[in-house]
Amino acid sequence: MDKPTRIYQCENTIDGIFSAVYDAGLSGYGHKFIRIQPEQVNQPENYELFAEYIQVKTAPEKTKSVIDAVREKISEKAYHFIMSAVISEFPDKGDVIYQFVTYGFTIGPKICSALQIPCVERIFAINRAVQNETHFFREFLRFQEVQKEPSLLLAVIEPRHHIIPLLTEHFADRFIEEWFIIYDEAHLEASFHQKGGGWEVRLLTSEEAKKLEELSEQQEEYVDLWKTFFDKIVIKERINKKLQTNMLPLRYRKHMTEFIDE
Amino acid sequence: MIFQEHATIKQKLEILSDAAKYDVACTSSGVGRDGKKGETGNTMASGICHAFGADGRCISLLKILFTNECIYNCKYCINRCTNDIPRATFTPEEICTLTIEFYRRNYIEGLFLSSGIVESPDYTMELVCRTLHDLRTTHRFNGYIHCKAIPGASQELIEEAGWYADRMSINLELPTARGLQELAPNKSRKTILTPMRQIQNGMAESRAVLGMKGGNQSAYWHTQKRTGRALPGTQASLSASQNLYGNTGITEKGAHNKSLKMQPAQESLIPSSNTGLTQWNRKDVSRGFVPAGQSTQMIIGATGESDYEIIAVTEALYQRFDLKRVFFSAFINVNQDASLPAVNGQPPLRREHRLYQADFLLRYYGFRADELLTEQRPFFNTFLDPKCDWALSHLERFPVEINTADFDTLLRVPGIGTKSAQRIVAARKTGSLDYHALKAIGVVMKRAIYFITCNGQMMYRFLKIDEDYITRNLLENDTDVMKGFDEKVTYKQLSLFDAFPMEDLP
Repeated sequence: MDKPTRIYQCENTIDGIFSAVYDAGLSGYGHKFIRIQPEQVNQPENYELFAEYIQVKTAPEKTKSVIDAVREKISEKAYHFIMSAVISEFPDKGDVIYQFVTYGFTIGPKICSALQIPCVERIFAINRAVQNETHFFREFLRFQEVQKEPSLLLAVIEPRHHIIPLLTEHFADRFIEEWFIIYDEAHLEASFHQKGGGWEVRLLTSEEAKKLEELSEQQEEYVDLWKTFFDKIVIKERINKKLQTNMLPLRYRKHMTEFIDE
Repeated sequence: MIFQEHATIKQKLEILSDAAKYDVACTSSGVGRDGKKGETGNTMASGICHAFGADGRCISLLKILFTNECIYNCKYCINRCTNDIPRATFTPEEICTLTIEFYRRNYIEGLFLSSGIVESPDYTMELVCRTLHDLRTTHRFNGYIHCKAIPGASQELIEEAGWYADRMSINLELPTARGLQELAPNKSRKTILTPMRQIQNGMAESRAVLGMKGGNQSAYWHTQKRTGRALPGTQASLSASQNLYGNTGITEKGAHNKSLKMQPAQESLIPSSNTGLTQWNRKDVSRGFVPAGQSTQMIIGATGESDYEIIAVTEALYQRFDLKRVFFSAFINVNQDASLPAVNGQPPLRREHRLYQADFLLRYYGFRADELLTEQRPFFNTFLDPKCDWALSHLERFPVEINTADFDTLLRVPGIGTKSAQRIVAARKTGSLDYHALKAIGVVMKRAIYFITCNGQMMYRFLKIDEDYITRNLLENDTDVMKGFDEKVTYKQLSLFDAFPMEDLP
């Protein structure tokens, strides 16, 4: 049977995408004929001639409903996969999540290992990209002390995906007793961590973003000591810039203390 | 000697990180510990690199010496007492401040503290212990600490350090006792292996009391367990390694006679019964004793050992001392000492690389040392990695059918790593796999295709299971077999390889 593709257009947010997944699933229209299209900022609208368009109304309770079902009927791992996908910037993430969830409800927990299924292969790759990027920033993010008494740490990053929550989780456990801010310059969002625990992620106004950028331009004494160590620890007889670039890609260096010249 | 009495912290850092750089291990793995209220830091079981230096080596820890003064005169060491170099000594407070402030900025994962030997091994170890004590208690540092045990230090001090540290290491320095005697006259196998055994026993006790929190098992241990072999440190493993030596004749005849103090007969040198933990009444036992395990390193290419001897010693260290890691350090003649081999240009990096690959085969893939090399064939092939090399000399075992082969058989296929093998086994539960799926799984196809079938078919009809054919194609199409090196494999080198005299390897 051939019927027109239905395209669910939704907000490009967690709630928006899961609302679309929820509506599409409930429609019973058949997953082969359903696509999910989160609105892309700065992208020309690309309408298909013979498709039906459906505008999805964002409803947070639908997110909960989808997530609960995934954790209960598929697995925790499947839940991690869809959460990685939803915070990614890949344009096909809506479709992939929808197909993955649909297959998952049929196949069950072993879906996450079934890499021979195209949507699983894809969500696996998306998950890996998001987790890898998060891990790179766990390694290469640099804080600077932008204020003493009380001490305040600030890090600036430019990730491809919305990894701030994953990243902040790591540093919140590590630096329980610190006030710190991680500022995502690419998506204009930041996480704010309080001394003693507790943090939140917020979208920033342009004034707030500007303030953080100004703060980050200060210099402090440990920068020089760190650069000293970074140079001295190298074994000259083994210099291998290619290996260095493989391990530490150039795109991460922009905000790294040791690669910034005064 | 130039003593920097009133050096600034920057000058000290320059001298004492420069002096520490030849230590290889910079890993921060082996123990996962959550953050605590009122403290700074946590640890991740996988470890975290924080930077990569211009030499491409990972920088994970603040790797420094407490002092580079030293009463010893090891010929290979830049800090030996006869060298006329700037000397400096940190105070415990300076080390603590640097560690904490670097850590807060996410420059590092923790501290790697080693030291030259001042006054005596005990005096030095005491300074190291005091520093670690201050860092853990005064500065409430809960991140990663790697600490060197000073050979010859008392059991009490070694134990104290082990309660502060996550990982400890004692360098074997040279693969053979003979080499050690020649190049490090103030050290002996006994002063090195005694604390190693003490830490091993302490870890076992800590694990028995505290469970996993008291220390994870090593990759080698898990691999031995999976393959149903003798576990490290047990009686069975001792007799297993006895057999190993028996079979290879490594303890017999020839110049290498004295080479392996590891051999069972001589291990009586090392006390084993009186090394239980004595400080369980401390307040800080909850972290466990050396929970991330111990490691060691040896210098490659300073003395005349073969790869086979090195890899056999490595295996013995895993079996008999339950080490987490054995590191190799390509020899650099920093002192231009006449009794050391002159190194023209680069240190033996490729040899070091091959040894690391072999080390991974031992730890994760279930290979035994005597499967990789033998006394008759004691050096690794420079052009092919040890796994390809092994597969090419065991073509009767190939091709392997992806959809039915068991995990350990898959692991032996070039191009299939531990993760790919796990994914293959898991994915097969849903349905059969084709070549496209293998690619998605992460199998390195350009290496694997000569050794596998999917549902009875090889990827291309024209592929031949023939040693020359596969070797030629691997060298031509798979520059990764040379990974980490700039040299291109050319036909010229290939013909060189065809007539390659194995004895001429570095």
